[in-house]
Amino acid sequence: MAVTSALVWVIGRRGLGLRSSALRPALVRLLEWAGLTAVFYAVNLFAGFLAVLALRKLTGSFISIYVNTDATLALLSAFQALVFQWWRAESE
Amino acid sequence: MARRPPLRAAAFLGALTLTAFALLAYTPLIGAISQRLDAVPDPGPADAIVVLGAGSARDGVLSSSSLRRFVGGLLLYRRGLAPRLILMGPTYQGSPIEAETRAAIARELGIPASAIVVEGGGLTTRQEAELAAARVRTLGGRRVLLVTSAQHMHRARRFFERAGLEVVPAPVIEVSPRAESPDGRLELARLVIQEALARLYYRVIGQL
Repeated sequence: MAVTSALVWVIGRRGLGLRSSALRPALVRLLEWAGLTAVFYAVNLFAGFLAVLALRKLTGSFISIYVNTDATLALLSAFQALVFQWWRAESE
Repeated sequence: MARRPPLRAAAFLGALTLTAFALLAYTPLIGAISQRLDAVPDPGPADAIVVLGAGSARDGVLSSSSLRRFVGGLLLYRRGLAPRLILMGPTYQGSPIEAETRAAIARELGIPASAIVVEGGGLTTRQEAELAAARVRTLGGRRVLLVTSAQHMHRARRFFERAGLEVVPAPVIEVSPRAESPDGRLELARLVIQEALARLYYRVIGQL
């Protein structure tokens, strides 16, 4: 990771002409994305939890709450956060 | 036009999230937390061994957790700690009944059919406790060796004691607290956090 990050730094600066001063705001965007991912994940988890309880009540059949613990939920929440972030940027 | 500034609250939360991720994945923190919270193995003689369900696929293949718990139960039986092996585990959306799959394997491994009790009705830990308690009472006992994951033991034990059984915990390690790879530590963190949320939920609804 350290080697590839250093390599990208060199390529970005010398090959692509990227400004080093723009790296800090980029890292802040990363933090923003991570925070949004956490928020979307928490909301999705809670919504899934409520959905399971509602389906149990409506259908009378048993659905495990553990369906919400699937790892793909975190990945999909990260996609949601990324789209939200880009949407916000594109709305300027 | 000026670019929209980053959402400060989200960036702050992101910093916390990434710090938590780094601590959980790259330090032994979660192992230490897990060892502090998890039940300590203390197997002793009992009237029956109860192996809780943990899931199987639609084709009947037992989940990793299910297999680990099952093997834990088999070892206790082989050590002569109880005369009966109560195998739990229901059907999951049309899958073969987990308890029956386990029983078939147990018979193949030489456990006498007379020692195996199959109970495939319980969908939740509370239901499993009630069903197991009824079975144990029918067998004329009260003291059980309870086999489930180390993380799940605390909650399961409460349900089984509430169902009127005397519980000897026999936890199985599903993810080692000494896991050194980041993904192993994250898997352990998932189990610990999941169980903490489950305990919170059952406390809120007054069942724990």
